[in-house]
Amino acid sequence: MDGNNFIYKGYIGKMLRINLTNGSWSDVPLTNELAEKYIGGAGMAARILYDELKPGIDPLSPDNKVIFLTGPVEGTMIPTSCRIGCYAKSPLTNSFFHSSAGGHFGPELKFAGYDGIIFEGRSKKPVYLFIDNGLVELRDAAHLWGLDSNTTQHRMFEELGSDEIQIASIGPAGEKLVRFACIICGSRALGRGGLGAVLGSKNVKAVAVRGHHSVDVPDIRKIKMFLEDLYARFSANPSTAEILPRYGTPVLVNANNTLGLFGYHNWQDEYNPESERLSGETMRKKIVKRDKSCYACPARCGKFSIVESVSVEGCCVEGPEYEDIFSLGSMCGHSDIEIVAAAERLCDDIGLDAIEAGVAIAFAMECYQRKLLTDKQTDGMQLDFGRSDLIIPMIKKIGMREGYLGDVLAEGVKRASEKIGKGSGQFAMQNKGLTYPGHSARGMPGFALGYATGPRGASHHDGRPTGERTGLVQRDTIEGKGEYTARINHLNILTDSMIVCHLPEAIWGPLDITDTLVRCINTTTGMDLNLENARLTAERIWNLIRAFGVREGYRREHDTLAPRFMEEPIKTGPSKDMVISREMLDYMLDQYYEFRGWDKKTGIPTREKLQELGLTDIADDLDAYR
Amino acid sequence: MQVTLKSFANIKDVIGQSTKCIELAPGAKLSDLFTYLNREYGEKFNRQVTDQISGKLVPFLILINEKTFRSTTDMETLLNEGDTVTIMIPFDGG
Repeated sequence: MDGNNFIYKGYIGKMLRINLTNGSWSDVPLTNELAEKYIGGAGMAARILYDELKPGIDPLSPDNKVIFLTGPVEGTMIPTSCRIGCYAKSPLTNSFFHSSAGGHFGPELKFAGYDGIIFEGRSKKPVYLFIDNGLVELRDAAHLWGLDSNTTQHRMFEELGSDEIQIASIGPAGEKLVRFACIICGSRALGRGGLGAVLGSKNVKAVAVRGHHSVDVPDIRKIKMFLEDLYARFSANPSTAEILPRYGTPVLVNANNTLGLFGYHNWQDEYNPESERLSGETMRKKIVKRDKSCYACPARCGKFSIVESVSVEGCCVEGPEYEDIFSLGSMCGHSDIEIVAAAERLCDDIGLDAIEAGVAIAFAMECYQRKLLTDKQTDGMQLDFGRSDLIIPMIKKIGMREGYLGDVLAEGVKRASEKIGKGSGQFAMQNKGLTYPGHSARGMPGFALGYATGPRGASHHDGRPTGERTGLVQRDTIEGKGEYTARINHLNILTDSMIVCHLPEAIWGPLDITDTLVRCINTTTGMDLNLENARLTAERIWNLIRAFGVREGYRREHDTLAPRFMEEPIKTGPSKDMVISREMLDYMLDQYYEFRGWDKKTGIPTREKLQELGLTDIADDLDAYR
Repeated sequence: MQVTLKSFANIKDVIGQSTKCIELAPGAKLSDLFTYLNREYGEKFNRQVTDQISGKLVPFLILINEKTFRSTTDMETLLNEGDTVTIMIPFDGG
């Protein structure tokens, strides 16, 4: 450890390590090497968890660890420097998982005096952590156990005597170890990967932070000049200046549907004839009351909505986002935007990933359509597509693990299909245990490759749909998509390590790491990165995460797509007949592994590649798996 | 010749309707349609599709009938009488 000699600005310079088993804690100084090689966020957490977790551990056992971590930019005025990342071995995918959320928690953690927190072991009784301007306290949370995330936050505000505190909390789903339980930070979610279940398995109900530490930068005049330029670019770009502020992510409903790329009826089709009723335009007219912004973000894409219909009267929510509309609406075959909004709020309260929840319900609906579920198994519910009245009851069942179906779906779609059997795996829309979000695999080959190779499974933040969806690259070809996807992987993992939001990707990239990101890092930290070594850093992190997966058993055969995406072409619209056959995927995988310097047979990074990236110790480890 | 313009979200907000018939000179290209829209709706339209620093169109897709074209490479595509042109929203992220 060279923590006393930590030279970089932007960071606070230390993490907090909490041993929940014995209730002790200590400061962990950051090292220059950790910052230089892995930046922060996902990169730094991947290195820590690779070193500290034994392969094969049960993600819901005390052997797992949960890390909350920021990056060097959090708490500065770099646009979107609002993020908090959460990291653990996922109970859904059994590999390293990273999820990040906007809002205000990330900056506040740094103001409270820490870059991050490492939770290890398991507390005997429910607890919450309070960091108050550098003072650490592990408090009893027995009285909060069982409460929804929103009530938990309000109780804690009362208990701590202020609402000027940022809180990350799990809901009942996390306590009941639902494998896709999330963590709610204010009204934003550390949504994917079941990290709320990992926190619940440790008996940690919440984390509260407050403080007044400053985040120093090396040269205030230099960063101000850079920021003037950067904010001008945000104001000049149609996406960040006009579209995100006006409609937020739900603008994609009509956009994707018009292209015939909008999941409908559990991806049986990609055109929803009633999409207008779910669109960002309808949502703005019907339920949006005002726009909301995360810390240091000029795009204000958050939409604060109130549902005034009789059935869900008084329900307010930050959202719904595009992904919620896709999963809790279109995938389940209904077009009631108010039900979607209420369902999203319920997912937040119970503490469920809304994508997984909606896709799990859609999966159950298709099981029911194919008569694979009995009335007894559904508790008498006729789970037909389009039954908007069943979305809220189903979310409650899953979140509380009620009944046969609630308990089975709480395991995630992959495990649910294994339990239900009868060929249901054919339409279990997941990869590596994570369900597909609302972006087409069949209609965007490069993005499909990103899904297939994603270390988190079917995440839309390992690959990205943007290049093909906006026409920056040709959509209807598989040529060149190996390198295309790998470069986007690197862009994503660098932004996830800094950490900045992916939505302004036109400014950050969008096809590769750009000098803009390098300047963000350099002006905040005082590092002297150039484009070449920034790309090398990102590639190093990507390979490290791949190595984590290799240790857990992931190989080329797991880099695949749901059978439906490989066997059933899109039925209608401008993307009609598009499909990613196994042959097409294999062709792209070869391109991808070749560009990456990975073994084409196994998908394992070669020793030469790992050594080139300064990961000789990882290369030594992986020899046992070749 | 007449083409039908379809739009949604911000572009529809500027144009005021989701479907609009537009009269263009015979032999008009996609770029001519955008010249018309810029002339007709001015800065309000321009801000939805153009980077205000570079002055260039940002990347987005355009459908002519059900075929896809790219703002980055295909603006010289000829339009035909009766074509339906849908401007996809230039949106990154999601």
